[in-house]
Amino acid sequence: MKGTVLYAVIAAALLGVCVPGPREAEARLSLEKCTLCHGKPEFRKILVDGKIQELFVTGDSLKGSVHEKKTCVDCHFDVSEIPHRERPRRVNCTHCHYKGNAEGAPQSDGYLAYFESVHGKAIARGNAKAPLCQDCHGSHAILKAKSQASLVAQGKVAETCGRCHIEIYAQYKTSVHGVAVAKGIKEAPSCTGCHGEHKIYSPKDPKSTVFATHVADQCSKCHASVSIMGKFGIETEQVATYKESFHGVASQFGSRTVANCASCHGTHDIRPEADPLSSVNPKNVPKTCGKCHPGANANVAVGKMHVDAKKKEAGIVYYVASFFKYLTIGTMLALIVHIVLDMYGRTKRLRGEK
Amino acid sequence: MSVDEKKEQPRESLEREIDAVVSAETAGLEPEQAGEIREKIRQRVRAEMEREIRLKTAADRREEARRIREERQKEKHAGEGRMFQRFNRNFRFQHMVMFSSVILLIVTGMPIKFPNFILSRFVISLWGGINNSTIVHRIGALMLVYFMVHHLLYTILSRDGRRDFVLLLPMPKDLRDAVQNIRYFLGKVKEKPRFGRFSYIEKFDYWAVYWGCIIMIGSGAFLWGESIALKYFPKFVLDIAHEMHSDEALLATLAIVIWHFYNVHFNPERFPGTLMWWHGQISEHEIKEEHPLEYEELMAKQAKTAAEVNPQ
Repeated sequence: MKGTVLYAVIAAALLGVCVPGPREAEARLSLEKCTLCHGKPEFRKILVDGKIQELFVTGDSLKGSVHEKKTCVDCHFDVSEIPHRERPRRVNCTHCHYKGNAEGAPQSDGYLAYFESVHGKAIARGNAKAPLCQDCHGSHAILKAKSQASLVAQGKVAETCGRCHIEIYAQYKTSVHGVAVAKGIKEAPSCTGCHGEHKIYSPKDPKSTVFATHVADQCSKCHASVSIMGKFGIETEQVATYKESFHGVASQFGSRTVANCASCHGTHDIRPEADPLSSVNPKNVPKTCGKCHPGANANVAVGKMHVDAKKKEAGIVYYVASFFKYLTIGTMLALIVHIVLDMYGRTKRLRGEK
Repeated sequence: MSVDEKKEQPRESLEREIDAVVSAETAGLEPEQAGEIREKIRQRVRAEMEREIRLKTAADRREEARRIREERQKEKHAGEGRMFQRFNRNFRFQHMVMFSSVILLIVTGMPIKFPNFILSRFVISLWGGINNSTIVHRIGALMLVYFMVHHLLYTILSRDGRRDFVLLLPMPKDLRDAVQNIRYFLGKVKEKPRFGRFSYIEKFDYWAVYWGCIIMIGSGAFLWGESIALKYFPKFVLDIAHEMHSDEALLATLAIVIWHFYNVHFNPERFPGTLMWWHGQISEHEIKEEHPLEYEELMAKQAKTAAEVNPQ
């Protein structure tokens, strides 16, 4: 069955290349047949859970999308007679989008990665609510991800994810990143910026880009880059100071309990320090630190957080560091000179004795 | 006069004396009663005397054993002359506690200071991850704190501790010794400086450990009890503690690995190290070489005691 359809599709494609006439006519034919019912604006179905599913589709539905040249049965290929008796199955995109397909449909490992992802696994377990390709990319009006209007475009993907992850979307929308994305700043991350596109894993999964020990790396992809951060006047030294701190070092050595960027700054609700709602606002710092260090009070907000002892801005810490630096250099220099002189003397005496 | 006769003489006179006292006391009593008492006293005195003789012979035995041991040691270190006890058992125990704790602390602490060093990850994994290595670090810390307390009590309470502490105080002579030693290295003078019980090198080591322990234990306490510390101190105090802990750790490690190891291990006279940390003894040859002033003092003292024992 699948084979025949495939051959039909290949044949159709070949025909389409050679003789445009008949293929277009065929497509029109299929469309005309489908829109006999689906072309009516009031054509809808009430589902078991009381939701209304709009079934209104016209010839314009695919217009402008990447599948502009496709027709209904290219995807809904299980519809073999019109009107169809059963509800057509959900469209399976891998029908065309597989590696080495003859259709010329774009393909990458991303599609395979989906099956490993938290969403793909949920589908495999039989969770009907988990998203398939069309849930994120759209069903009829699929556009290239680069296109601004695409559902998975940088500016719109948060809304797309938010259709299911409503609370997170609400947090994100007012966060510093959400606001920046809404302003049209290309560098700001939307959901996929941190979580990945197809390889989305649960944050508790060690493969996840937002797993406790990976958070710092993920944030530093942008926050360590002077060329990106420079545009917005944000310092990049935070990454280095974190990695040198005990938190950063322990995290690098695989501690999952130690603080990473998100532990203090928040995950979806990251806000600038000056924002009173920010978890790193001096007023909220005691509470934030108190999550791990019970009894933290206003003292924790006194002094710079990301201290770089090598810079003068660190204040007294800088002077302590400098004191020890010169003490170490001075002492070790004196001791090494003493050792070298001792060895020199020994050699000389040995030679003298001979 | 034989030894036994010597012993008998005072014994007889003592018995006579006792008899005289007893007879004076028992004069008014009836002969039977007096005889009983006399018999009792005689028995008591005999027991007492036998005990004294027994003790004396035990002390002689111990003395003899020590002499044999020393002789055997002398044979062992024939070329080095006799051995002197340089460090007592308490002091050696302190050193062992300290170096075990410092090794633990360095092994578990340095990877945290240099996380990108190639071996750091390996060393941390040896302990089973950062969570375990921090526990080992705290065990090391407790050992170091114990050492510090032990040493302070030793300095205050023990006679050897007090004497050594005074001898370890820096003196103007140390500066002169250092200058002379460097001139000796350069071949400007023929004589090595004559050190006392502790040379300026050893004094430096001692006071470096003092300084290191104070800095490391002080700052480490802040970092260990960070929640408590944050209740009373602002965050920058902890930052200072962190900085001090990290920097002094490096200084201490370098001083141990370069300076101390050179002086006691890699130095051609000592390579690959002596067992002084274990048995605490120094050979006559070495003490004459390294601590001539102490040797002379010891000799003078011995001569003095000998003179007191046999005044001739």
